[in-house]
Amino acid sequence: MIYLDHAAATPVSAKVFEAMQPYFLNDFFNPSSAYLPAKKVASEYEEAKGKIAHAIGAKANDLIMTAGATEANNLAFTAVSPNGEVLYLKTEHDSVRNPAKRFVYQEIEVDKNGRILTDDLRAKISDKTELISVALANNELGTIQPLAEIAAFIREVRFDRLSRGVKTPLYLHSDASQAMNLLDINVARLGVDLLTLNAAKVYGPKGVGALYVSHDVRLTPLALGGGQENGLRSGTQNVPGVIGFAEALVNAKEHLNGNRKKYAEFRKILLEGIKDYELINKKHSLDNFVVLCFDGLDAERLVYLLEDREVYVSTGAACAASKGVRSHVLTAIGLSDSEIAGSLRLTLGETNTKEQILEAVEIINEVVAGEKARIHA
Amino acid sequence: MPKVFVGMSGGVDSSVAAMLLVEQGYDVTGVYMKNWSKDLPGMKCPWADDLADAKRVAVKLGIDFEVWDFEKEYHEKVVEYMLKEFKKGNTPNPDVMCNQEIKFKLFFEKAMERGADFIATGHYARIFSPESHLARAIDENKDQTYFLYRISEDAIAHTLFPVGEMLKPDVKKLAKEHGLHNAYKKESMGVCFVGEVGMKDFLKEYIDTQPGEIREVETEKKLGVHEGAVFYTIGQRHGLYLSGTAGEVNDGLPYYVVAKDLEKNIVYVSKNLNDSHIWTKELKLKDVLMRGEAKDVLVRLRHRAPLVKATFDKDTLHFENEIKRPAAGQSAVIYDGEICLGGGIIA
Repeated sequence: MIYLDHAAATPVSAKVFEAMQPYFLNDFFNPSSAYLPAKKVASEYEEAKGKIAHAIGAKANDLIMTAGATEANNLAFTAVSPNGEVLYLKTEHDSVRNPAKRFVYQEIEVDKNGRILTDDLRAKISDKTELISVALANNELGTIQPLAEIAAFIREVRFDRLSRGVKTPLYLHSDASQAMNLLDINVARLGVDLLTLNAAKVYGPKGVGALYVSHDVRLTPLALGGGQENGLRSGTQNVPGVIGFAEALVNAKEHLNGNRKKYAEFRKILLEGIKDYELINKKHSLDNFVVLCFDGLDAERLVYLLEDREVYVSTGAACAASKGVRSHVLTAIGLSDSEIAGSLRLTLGETNTKEQILEAVEIINEVVAGEKARIHA
Repeated sequence: MPKVFVGMSGGVDSSVAAMLLVEQGYDVTGVYMKNWSKDLPGMKCPWADDLADAKRVAVKLGIDFEVWDFEKEYHEKVVEYMLKEFKKGNTPNPDVMCNQEIKFKLFFEKAMERGADFIATGHYARIFSPESHLARAIDENKDQTYFLYRISEDAIAHTLFPVGEMLKPDVKKLAKEHGLHNAYKKESMGVCFVGEVGMKDFLKEYIDTQPGEIREVETEKKLGVHEGAVFYTIGQRHGLYLSGTAGEVNDGLPYYVVAKDLEKNIVYVSKNLNDSHIWTKELKLKDVLMRGEAKDVLVRLRHRAPLVKATFDKDTLHFENEIKRPAAGQSAVIYDGEICLGGGIIA
């Protein structure tokens, strides 16, 4: 098997799996229970949260642990008052677009590389805007956004509002799910008020995520109950999940530079070896994202043909593909319908070796040649 | 090479049909007919998954694949018809309508415009040539002519049913042997086009109903309440929530729905299995559609129900033995031996 879809899911690493196991069988206690073994679990849980927070330059108390990034994104939007307005990047994931659409919303346009058009942000922001959501790296293209620049602009807007006596708060939210493997994330340097993290994309367990919340943001819980996670996320803590997440994030941070180098090399092999394509994510992209357009071909067919050869790739976000809708991301960067239909996303990761990448090049070339022959037959 | 457009639903039958056509040397194009894509509350419409399953098979067979969108037409011709009939108190069959109006009309016509020699589907049915007679499948247990009896002679003359000559277990075996992944797919239940949802849940979304009384037909006594008369079908035994004293109601005998008064919103039930509402020797049909003539015929009153003997006279079936009366709106399908001559809607 050659797995080239790490943006969709990553396997749980052996170290992470090992770290989680005791908390299923032996240390299964409810952290809220009174006796000592449970208190031990509670303190290990807090320690794990501390590690996750430390990895992004925050404190444990700033984190609300959730059941994945979708929940964290939804929770972030509870910062907005009922009549508040929101802005989000046109290429955001559905877990941002859909909660945003409960409010008065506008989409910020992107350029052909998928980067934010800051002039459009300037044009669309108003005194009613309360939240701006811009993913640190896009899930279909890997495009990295200049978040610090956006944060600087937002600070200007806040000063301006303050000086005019406008009391509407303004927050910057970012979904960092895809970026955590490759970018050194620090909330202060990014200048975000809310940041979504996701264990499932960093070789941690699925269904575990977190929302970083800076001190001046007021959120409303999505579900009410026992008041865990500062009263913002009730429900018995997912101890093994959070332990696994912490381990995964610590590992990711350690391997950051080695991974980037490795993926850059693999990316080069793919780009030099594969024939007759156009590279879609040319600039400002995460090193492990390779989006190729085979114009005139149907990339979905390529996915099934590659599946037969045990090479697993995708045409875009897994969830968009399963709904049978055209990628809104590829549409936003100005691709034509036939270019979108011909676009294939390869995302590299820790399961890959150089031999695999070389083999993948051969197989992709064979499959593409076969499709072309079929069409022209 | 004769050109065939094969309707592919993502299920095992149409997948094997496509595979057989490729093996037989036809120039095959797979088509997914997109008839319905709306999600219902708590129920995701499976169309995108079905489409992906169909496409995967087409790709593995190395054939062209297209999606033909009939959603608007399906709504007009099938869903609206169905809702209209339910509102009248009838129990229509959407599959019969879908075959008549969509698969063997719009799909057929579009395929012909595209230069097809034939269309094909994964239905269990046969066509006897050169007379172009629609006939029951080899697999009596799976025969689907009950749903196909209203399709036109022109469509029949240009249709192939590759799995109609096979037994279902053999179709599944063939799919496995050829690595068609959907050999393992569960067969869908419920309203065919919506997925795993019952007709009642579907109708609740579209028909405004009022609760009403359930009464015993012989005594007019109120036995319970219902959620809306349209949800009940004549002959129905399950899903009746009856109250009353234990001795009167719970004597172990089930109640059947025997009649409905749509105007007064009353559902009538009886436990008298000999109630005249239940049994009959005669059925009057409307919208009769016959492709041939015969007096002594075999009749099928429900999908997979045994064939019963009758004589057919213009629009009336006279049965040799008493039959349990099917709900109005269902179909009576008429056969001469193996050949499906046509049928009509039960008035």
